[in-house]
Amino acid sequence: MSTFVDLLRVSLGGLLARKVRTVLLLLGPMIGVAAIIAAVGLTDSAKGDLKRKVTELGTNLVLVSAQSSVGRQNPTLPKDAADRASKVITVEKVAAIAQLANIVVTPYERAKSQFETVPIPVVAVDDQLPNVLEVPLISGRWINAFDESATTRAAVIGIGLAREFNYLPGEMRTIELNGIRYGVVGILDKVELEPAFDNAVFIAFRAAEQDFVDNDIQPNKVYIRCKNGTETETAIALKTAVNLGGPQEVQTEIKAAALELAAQSDRQLQLIVVSMGLLAVIVGGLGIANVMSISVIQRSAEIGIRRALGHSRAIIGAQFMLESLVVGFLGGVMGVLLGIGAIFTGVKISGWVFVLASWLPPAGIVLAMLISVLAGVYPSTRAARLEPLETLRLG
Amino acid sequence: MSAEAVMELANVSRTYGQGEATVFALRNVSLRVLSGEFVSIVGPSGSGKSTMLGLLGCLDVPTSGTITVCGKEITALGDAERTAVRGRTIGFVFQQFHLIPHLDAAGNVETALLYRGYKPAERRDRALTALQQVGLLPRADHRPVQLSGGEQQRVALARALVTEPRILLGDEPTGALDTKNAAMVMELFANLRSPERAVILVTHDPGVAAAADRKISMLDGEIVADERKAVV
Repeated sequence: MSTFVDLLRVSLGGLLARKVRTVLLLLGPMIGVAAIIAAVGLTDSAKGDLKRKVTELGTNLVLVSAQSSVGRQNPTLPKDAADRASKVITVEKVAAIAQLANIVVTPYERAKSQFETVPIPVVAVDDQLPNVLEVPLISGRWINAFDESATTRAAVIGIGLAREFNYLPGEMRTIELNGIRYGVVGILDKVELEPAFDNAVFIAFRAAEQDFVDNDIQPNKVYIRCKNGTETETAIALKTAVNLGGPQEVQTEIKAAALELAAQSDRQLQLIVVSMGLLAVIVGGLGIANVMSISVIQRSAEIGIRRALGHSRAIIGAQFMLESLVVGFLGGVMGVLLGIGAIFTGVKISGWVFVLASWLPPAGIVLAMLISVLAGVYPSTRAARLEPLETLRLG
Repeated sequence: MSAEAVMELANVSRTYGQGEATVFALRNVSLRVLSGEFVSIVGPSGSGKSTMLGLLGCLDVPTSGTITVCGKEITALGDAERTAVRGRTIGFVFQQFHLIPHLDAAGNVETALLYRGYKPAERRDRALTALQQVGLLPRADHRPVQLSGGEQQRVALARALVTEPRILLGDEPTGALDTKNAAMVMELFANLRSPERAVILVTHDPGVAAAADRKISMLDGEIVADERKAVV
């Protein structure tokens, strides 16, 4: 241990004695690592807002919907679709909905003509939907079990609709569905993965059954949160689980898949710039090898005297190797800092979101050190092989 | 006198080149240097002095014959072990001082103590003590370029002493100095004699040779004379 500390002191002393040369040596690995960090960081940051959205929303939301086939106008799922879906082992949360057709929604009677032209979707829901979507209510409450059992005419509206109606949080208001008054009990926040919900009205299944649907109401969509990373197999399993060989056709969709695709960085651009950075690090390494070799010749007297004083070949070799390694380490660290600075600047200018994979900075430093070790092999071997007798010019 | 031999050469030859081009730098030399002796090795250029110095300093190995340093036959050792013996038992002073330019005087002296398990503070203490011995304590933080030739050689001497070597080996130590500084360095060498230590100087300066107690003269790779000063 003390030998290593001694070595480190000697190596640092050697580097500090030639400051300008050391700084020039640092530049190669520094620029290379900075280029790599900046390339990956900037291309990632350009898609940073989308990436953040993907992490926020989660990729594990699966939608099961009834598929329309020939001869069926409004395809539906089995009534117990939610139950069936929850039997899939990877499924964590389930919410069923039924989209209702031909309901005219108006904030008040006189506005009827205006709102007839812009249909507002009405959705029958259970008490689980916000929980599954992981979207909070910005005011009031969601449709609950009491609404369902007591057939209350309670409605929750989407945030877009609330804005359109100039709805104030906490305000007591009613909304007319085909002329039937419903009390607005809550407002649902923005649903990123299902933008249509922002302008929808949500009511309980029983209420829908009583006021708008003649026959037994059946869900046509089921939203599912599955265990993270299992979305693909869950989606496949759900098809069978919900259908169970029945006549209804079922399709599934992983809601964040498209978003995830959009959030993919430009791999090609990344690859090109990273290769150039790698090239810079390698050229920097060649620079280190070159300058260190010359340094060994220039310092042959120093090496000779150290050998005469009893420093072994291994120690001399290690001394030069360590000098090279320190250059690589410092170059790597400075390159990482420079690269992060470049990403920050780019993000600031373009209004992106700062994204940098946590493994990149240490990887950059390790790369620079690796290259510097390779670069140090030849000079340090040469230094170790020098014969003290030849360098000291005796007699 | 029961002084032990710190350095023993037995039938040592050193040749360079092979076959017909073989050159004998040393031819069948035998020599014993005892602890406490102050020896000078003199001879003209090409007499084998430098080769002798390389061998005495364990910087080189003979083509044939054996060299024993403090009871250890170094001709039987590998490079790493030979280096260890050299570091432990031999202190060098060179004509060109060979100080490391980017280290100050104390740093140069400390270099001899590196990789020996000393704590930095302990190493510094020892270095400063050695510098005091050669009268250069006030110059401890001066770089070699800030020192005169005489001072540089005294730093080199402190560096050789700091490991408390059994053998002090000087290669023309006054060769690059003016008369005054040379006299001062020679006085230091003379004072460094002790029963535990042998001082060996390789020189072609008759003045330096005369200061020693024993003068070994070389010519054409052989010892031609080995004179001891008469004990008064």
